Amino acid sequence: MNAVEFQLLAAGLAIGLGTIGPGIGIGIGFSKAMEAIGRNPDASGTIFVPYILGIALTEAMAIYALVIGLILIFAVG
Amino acid sequence: MVGALLASAVLLVAAGWFIRRAERVPGRLQSLIELPIEWIAGIVRNTGGKRSAEFAALVIAVFLFVLVANLIGLLPGVGTVGLAHEGEHGEPTLVPLVRAAAADLNFTLGLAIIAFVAFVAWGIRANGVLGYLKELLIAEPAYMTPLLTPIHLISELSRVISLSMRLFGNIFAGEALLAVMIVLAPLLVPAAFLGFEVLVAFVQALVFALLTMTYITLAIAEHRQHDSQAAHPGTEPERKEASPAPGSA
Repeated sequence: MNAVEFQLLAAGLAIGLGTIGPGIGIGIGFSKAMEAIGRNPDASGTIFVPYILGIALTEAMAIYALVIGLILIFAVG
Repeated sequence: MVGALLASAVLLVAAGWFIRRAERVPGRLQSLIELPIEWIAGIVRNTGGKRSAEFAALVIAVFLFVLVANLIGLLPGVGTVGLAHEGEHGEPTLVPLVRAAAADLNFTLGLAIIAFVAFVAWGIRANGVLGYLKELLIAEPAYMTPLLTPIHLISELSRVISLSMRLFGNIFAGEALLAVMIVLAPLLVPAAFLGFEVLVAFVQALVFALLTMTYITLAIAEHRQHDSQAAHPGTEPERKEASPAPGSA
């Protein structure tokens, strides 16, 4: 394998491994939100906004992995 | 870029129509325009704290702009109108005239920089220049400053990166996903993914607007924390109400 192939492999690994954690995290967050709505359906409006924010902040980790992947592909000569 | 201009044009036309034709008892079209604005305004009012009226307009504008830009990019057939180009090896290729605006990093980075300027400006306005710099550069127990200040600075800057890359990544990945699905299973299957992308377009617009709001609220609330501790130490609950959002990204 030459350098470019290693670069592509590294980019794939970065995004692939980097989405494991956020995937688990978003799953936990979603399940807890559903639990909370199940217990108190009236609160679904209140839960919605903090839920979206929490998901967005968890997702940021996956986005950093995406940035690293893009850097590996395009920015590293 | 044409996509972003088109989104602005749609919003401007809607706004112009609204100014001329708005009535006290809303008709069907007027209700359609009012619905998302009232909904997001309600969210800002409920979670933005006492000073939410100051930045509600910014949050609503960001939400509508990103939402319309995303949805324009999802219109079927939009990508087929374009300029013909000679490719690298002489084969003809099509450069689409209108793409999803957020699939271009320049668009999302521009919006993220607007959001950054907004929350820094609100922080300075609520805190004063010196107060803001003190908040930024000096950690709470003073001896922790050398360790915590770089982290604080990086987390502050990473907000711009995560805001812009989140929108870009989601919309770009959506486009790529649709393209792959069209190649893999050209019949019916891409329609389901198109529906999913409509949901993503909406959620990402909401996330961008809400995060902008949260960062502004945090910038203002940091000031309040010090204020209320200095003036009346017993106003804890009010402070909690002012910053309901989770910590910085």
